Amino acid sequence: LDEDLLNYALKYAQSRSVEYAEVRGQSQVIEGFVLRNGVLEESVSAIDSGFCVRIIAGGGIGFASTNRWTEKEARSIVDLAFKYARTARRKDAISFAEEKRVETEYTVDQRKNIEDVSQEERISSFGEIDKALASCGVKITATLSQCATSLVSKYFVNTEGSRISSFVPRIGAYVFITVVEQGKTEQSHEQFGYSGGWEALDEWNISERMIHDAKALRNVMAKGKAVRPGNTDLICGPKVTGIAAHESCGHPMEADRILGREMSQAGRSFIYNGGSYWIGTRIGSDVVTVVDDPTLAHSYGYYAFDDEGVKARRRYLYKNGLINEFLHNRESAAKIGTRSNGSSRSMSYQTEPIVRMANTFVLPGDLSEEELIEDVKQGIYMKSFTEWNIDDRRFNQRYVGSEAYVIEKGELKDPVARPMIETTTLKFWMAVDAVSKKVEFDAASCAKGDPEQTVPVYDGGPCIRLRGVYVK
Amino acid sequence: MTDVLGKTEEIVEKAKAFGADEVVAKTTFGKYRQTRFSNNQIDITVAWNDYITDVSLAWEKRVVATQINDFQEIDAKIDRLLKLAKASKENPTFGGYAKGSFRYAKSMADKRLPDLEDPSRFILEAIDAAQEEAGSQIECGGILFTGFEDVYLVSSEGAIGVDSRSGVELSIRVFSEREASGHGVECSSTLTGFEPSKAGVKAGEVARMARGPKAGDEGVYDVVFDPLIFGSMLDVWADMVSAFSVMIQSSIFVDKLGQRVAPEIVTLKDNPGAYSLANRVFDDEGVPTRETVFIDRGILKTYLHNTSTAKIFKTETTGNAGLPFPEAWNVEMDPGKVSRDDLFKEVKRGLYLTNTWYTRFQNPAKGDFSTVPRDGIFLIEDGEVKQSLRDLRISDNALSILNNIIAISKERQHVHWWGEAETPSLSPYVLVKDVHMTKSR
Repeated sequence: LDEDLLNYALKYAQSRSVEYAEVRGQSQVIEGFVLRNGVLEESVSAIDSGFCVRIIAGGGIGFASTNRWTEKEARSIVDLAFKYARTARRKDAISFAEEKRVETEYTVDQRKNIEDVSQEERISSFGEIDKALASCGVKITATLSQCATSLVSKYFVNTEGSRISSFVPRIGAYVFITVVEQGKTEQSHEQFGYSGGWEALDEWNISERMIHDAKALRNVMAKGKAVRPGNTDLICGPKVTGIAAHESCGHPMEADRILGREMSQAGRSFIYNGGSYWIGTRIGSDVVTVVDDPTLAHSYGYYAFDDEGVKARRRYLYKNGLINEFLHNRESAAKIGTRSNGSSRSMSYQTEPIVRMANTFVLPGDLSEEELIEDVKQGIYMKSFTEWNIDDRRFNQRYVGSEAYVIEKGELKDPVARPMIETTTLKFWMAVDAVSKKVEFDAASCAKGDPEQTVPVYDGGPCIRLRGVYVK
Repeated sequence: MTDVLGKTEEIVEKAKAFGADEVVAKTTFGKYRQTRFSNNQIDITVAWNDYITDVSLAWEKRVVATQINDFQEIDAKIDRLLKLAKASKENPTFGGYAKGSFRYAKSMADKRLPDLEDPSRFILEAIDAAQEEAGSQIECGGILFTGFEDVYLVSSEGAIGVDSRSGVELSIRVFSEREASGHGVECSSTLTGFEPSKAGVKAGEVARMARGPKAGDEGVYDVVFDPLIFGSMLDVWADMVSAFSVMIQSSIFVDKLGQRVAPEIVTLKDNPGAYSLANRVFDDEGVPTRETVFIDRGILKTYLHNTSTAKIFKTETTGNAGLPFPEAWNVEMDPGKVSRDDLFKEVKRGLYLTNTWYTRFQNPAKGDFSTVPRDGIFLIEDGEVKQSLRDLRISDNALSILNNIIAISKERQHVHWWGEAETPSLSPYVLVKDVHMTKSR
């Protein structure tokens, strides 16, 4: 990154009548490939490098970016951002919540350096997954595997004197399989993500997980019973807990949605000032605490400082069942009269930073998974899910089980085919009466904003037990 | 600009000199501008300047790709790419890039679009129109987007092309109450005929009608799909008709070529015509784009192909490259014979749905999915739009929806929308029978 040019851009911005300006340079070294049925379709190698400027002037915000690293282009994008900020003509001026000046740098360590891993080794590692699936005894008619590494360097400066350099290596993978049994077809996919080096491959055990999924799908097709619709107890595995935490806690707690800034795209929130839900309102039982934490070491959503230069920290979103703290950037925090909690993220130098989750999960309790199950007379254990969605207020949601079992008298029994819960955020979290003690995480790519920005996140949690919910 | 074409040629020549068998380089100089607004005020205006060359090459059937920013470090990047190819594995299904030189249609891109002097006037026009419909107390949000690209493509296999592509889009969502909203879009490749007030009128009209929604009932309904929500369905089918989706079995169209997948009234095409946001005169291999009928009077005729997938399926490219994978550009549904008004009259008791979001599949091969309607859900009784409803979900199957189309309107609209209707389309009002709706309990 040409830091001198970025400093020049900031200095040029300061020469205009700006209330605030920041410049962010970002370079991503990207390597990836796609395998279809074990055959390498394509390998990709690229360096995407550019910078952006964001300006507050005349009460409006302007943003401009480029991948042309020249002083002339820097002046050009500053001029554009300045012009656009001033033409907003807002009735109420935008301001940012106060922040401390920060000068720092941080990096994420790699035990096995990504750059030292040859293309041959990368392809071979994923080729082995295909071989393992081909010989696992399940009829798998199609596989798609993708792997991508990115080495992300950033340099952030603003007119308040902050200056932050960072280097975060990331690795992500995705595997999609189609399983056929007795003329039926089922499909499953898994996503993997890690901030750090190639050592992630050793921790993921992709082959083992995909073989498990393949066998579970075969089991469902061969032996899965239909659900008898009705009220029953439901135990959600960590994958289901995690998606619910993300969708019906993380998203509705994003302050920009609450304030209406996403009203035309991802929507608003069931939480709003003057409505039935606000900070302090009960949304779940006492045992429900959901946090978002960017500081988890080597997590997919890791960062130490957000893209506005604010120090990251754990946020308690739902705390003991009460709505506790929204996710904020500096703009939303100013509007609500609080401070940013470091939730501002941008996908690349081409996009403005907006309010985002990082790693969202339910905090653990004291019970083992077995103890949760033992106390269910009749119920369903939904270990993983396939289809899911939620309305744009983040209130009406649905999760369809992929691997799932009947629970009878405290024991797991036959597999059950596609159990489905379609309920509200309030009913879901209020029904939770117990939480197990082992938290597990899944990697995901969270999409939001216009243009759509995809950022790496973890969802997760322990097993949770819901009493008397309608399952069909 | 010939300098840009020259530099793009230089990349291809260098890659060949470094040992590549086949190379395609596509340089895009793009200027993109977007103004976002919410609560009736402008939140931010964003400008992107992009100078990028996409390079795809093959060496002994090892297929690799990279991007070069602003023609920087060409030699080093090509060298690195060839080294990557040599460390990669053969793709036996790689069928080469399109051979030969081609003639292209003239681009109709609008040169006024790169830098509008005051784009916010379009937003104010849309908000004013919405307020005319739904009153001054409404809350409006949305975007105005303009884009202009100069595209230069050079292939070692003969294709050389220069294209300009432009687009302008206004999207507005209007809230007349906390849970009553409407959405309108106005999309065009040029400013000629671009009428942002139309989007405001539509969003305002639906938002006004949506006031006082009641909880809807689960059940099976005949449903009138508005062009905007039907654009989301067209997007689903467009994605699934790509040959690559078929190859990975992420499609309801696997093994269905030549079979009936829809009633006779349904004809679907891909056509990145001059009017479309996806306007282009050649694809990413330099093959001229064209109209491709993929469902002809209900029969699945073809998948969408690039040169490689066409060879796998023993057919010809449809001009839908996409490297390495083919993609739809702009889907058109042929118009029907009934007017919009007459189409509603055919419904004794059903629903009118205007927009949706969060479409997710249980299993793309089987097509079971659900999606969450928003921005106006209405009960239709005896052909008339009656009560506004809320909290319903479509829980059905993508093949069943296609099969159950019973009427298509004469009127069509060019639609594109964030998140769901990502593939631009020319979409009519469509009546579908027996659509399954569910709700939370």
